[in-house]
Amino acid sequence: MKVRNIRSVTQHLGFLILMYGGRFGVRLGSALPCFACPFVPGCGGYCYLMGLQGYIGFGMGALTGVGLMTALSWFALFVFLVAMLGKLWCGWICPFGLVQDWLSALRGKLGVRERQITQRMKRRMAMVKYGLLAYIAILPPLATLGFLHEDFYLPFCDICPGKSLLPLFAGETRYLALNFDNGVSLGFSIALLVITGIMLVGMFFKDRFFCIFCPLLALIHILKPLTALRLFKLPEACTGCGTCRRVCPMDIEDVYRQRTSPDVQTDECLDCAKCAESCPADGAIGLKFLKFKLFLSSRSYAADSRKKS
Amino acid sequence: MTSGVTNARNERIFKKTSDQISSETARVLETLRSRADYTREFDYFLELAESGMTPEAAETRTGLTTIKLLCVQAPLELIHAAGFHPFKVFCGSNAACNLASRGLPALACPMLRSVIGAAKLAQSSSESPWVLPTTCDWVVKFPEMLAISDVAGEPDSIRVHWLELPHLKDRDDGQRRWIEEIYNFKKFLTSDGRRIKRAALAESVAIYRRAWQALVRLSDLRREGRLSSIWFMLMTGVFFCDSPQNWTTAAERAANSQMTPALRGAKVFLAGSPIFFPNFKIPFLLEEAGLEVVSDDLCSSERIFPGSVACGDESEFGLMSAMSQSYHQGCVCPTFIDNDRRINNILGRMKGAGFKGVVFHVLKGCHPYDLESFGIETKLKDRGLKFIRLETDYSGEDSRNLNTRLEAFRQTIRED
Ligand code: SF4
Ligand code: SF4
Repeated sequence: MKVRNIRSVTQHLGFLILMYGGRFGVRLGSALPCFACPFVPGCGGYCYLMGLQGYIGFGMGALTGVGLMTALSWFALFVFLVAMLGKLWCGWICPFGLVQDWLSALRGKLGVRERQITQRMKRRMAMVKYGLLAYIAILPPLATLGFLHEDFYLPFCDICPGKSLLPLFAGETRYLALNFDNGVSLGFSIALLVITGIMLVGMFFKDRFFCIFCPLLALIHILKPLTALRLFKLPEACTGCGTCRRVCPMDIEDVYRQRTSPDVQTDECLDCAKCAESCPADGAIGLKFLKFKLFLSSRSYAADSRKKS
Repeated sequence: MTSGVTNARNERIFKKTSDQISSETARVLETLRSRADYTREFDYFLELAESGMTPEAAETRTGLTTIKLLCVQAPLELIHAAGFHPFKVFCGSNAACNLASRGLPALACPMLRSVIGAAKLAQSSSESPWVLPTTCDWVVKFPEMLAISDVAGEPDSIRVHWLELPHLKDRDDGQRRWIEEIYNFKKFLTSDGRRIKRAALAESVAIYRRAWQALVRLSDLRREGRLSSIWFMLMTGVFFCDSPQNWTTAAERAANSQMTPALRGAKVFLAGSPIFFPNFKIPFLLEEAGLEVVSDDLCSSERIFPGSVACGDESEFGLMSAMSQSYHQGCVCPTFIDNDRRINNILGRMKGAGFKGVVFHVLKGCHPYDLESFGIETKLKDRGLKFIRLETDYSGEDSRNLNTRLEAFRQTIRED
């Protein structure tokens, strides 16, 4: 079975379990390193960002000491899940990632050109995700300590396009409506609509557009030293053909450019392994778990896996 | 009176050269047909070689006007999508090479001399244009060489579309300029009002993808020692003589057939200047010396095209830019300045296949390969690999000498 087929299966399974699993008793907890949105009725688990903001992280739990142990144990679970699967959560499991892939596939079917973002621009845009992490770290404690309105408990969820779009797959349209409860909630709901619109357009015209800004991707990357699963390169096997750069949904150049180090696990990489699958050089790119090589590029594989246009 | 004598003399020379070319071709074909590892699946390729490897013959076979190419940087998929047949012009005949020699620099590239000689003889009827990437000096001067050799009038009377090749392929500006060049090429192909639709482009990419898959299968068979290098080179050598679909079907049939394992020898990698039919002197000499080529990086063989175009964006622009990049960055031609990763291609192909040495073929006059061979030699020797550089031309005069050197080389490999 080709890697891309396995990836497709895990993505769809991930979607089904994380979006609908709760209806069948699946409860995977609150520490999932992907966009398993708690606002989806009947979801199978919660994205860690929610817990991190509100009750178990920077919010009430940790700060008030009431749920400090709970906060720490969810954090430990999150670290463990990241350490085990790294960014497979992004490239192989995340339901919002799959939604973005569907939009890209639709664009491909319509023959619409993918928009290019210059590397310089992309580097700037990528900083936003670290800004969002800071936003998540600062606002909830301020709300908990009473310096901000209580609606600032979940400041990221309130502007996250996952919250507006993913519940639609469960028939829930409420988060697309304006919330007139108070000024803060109205402001958040307007912001959410605007961001959702921008993201929808962006995700249609650019592969994995939202991932450029995703704070969870940033958080997983910060834990990189602990992750067992890595993308690696053997620079001395690379012929510089540029295929890896062309097929990368995140337009990552480092894999192509790297000439000395095997470390090509950049902060934006999703570990989707599309580069490794397409690389025509034997043994130039691979995916490994600790020391075990899970996949290694080869010319025969690249030739064989490109059966379909 | 004088011109009458000259014409009669020319006719005699042409007739003699023509006979010599026929006998060179017949000799090689006969040798191939009488080999122990010959199977019926090779007939298609032998027939293509036999029935004339000219643009005119390809036009008859495919029913399409050809675009005549030198080198490997013009995207075949684009030409095919425009409804033309891409034909890489080549010739390995020593007689044709000798015919063209008069008036040309003594050390002009033998391959181009041979092409010019063959064109002189054929009084080419094909009006199809040439598409020439600015690779080496010989290619850049090719129209002038045609004019000097009386194959054409003034150099600017030859229909040439130049592809100005950025020689720094790793640089963003070079890559951008090349994409522009390919868009200009598209304009040239469609200057008669035809259109290249996205669907045609995608289909063409798929056709060449299948051809590449077949090529990779054949090269794997060769690596495993189940297909001899001579057959592999014949098959790749006639790639442009028919439609890619027909070639692929025949190649797939051959790959699926029960092949008689090739003769076993010490495994070597063949690098350097291209080798064209019927000049199979080097492959035959290698076999005679007990050396088995199980992989190569010749632009006439494993590198006849850069592989399938892979891209994440299947729009027209996506396909166009992926195509341009494949033919630019994916090319390890020594005319590029930043070609340091070429060695990785050689080492990568050698890895795990039990290779012990590299045979580097340099055609006298082929300066880029000549120059690059020295750096490659150092890098390979630093890694403990054996290296031999064979500088030769299309004539058979040095065969004995080359054979002695190759046998000595095999000895050093064995002793290792
Ligand atoms: S696809 Fe492979 S060979 Fe090509 S540039 Fe990337 S790593 Fe190098
Ligand atoms: S670098 Fe490779 S694994 Fe990482 S996102 Fe790009 S294609 Fe996927």
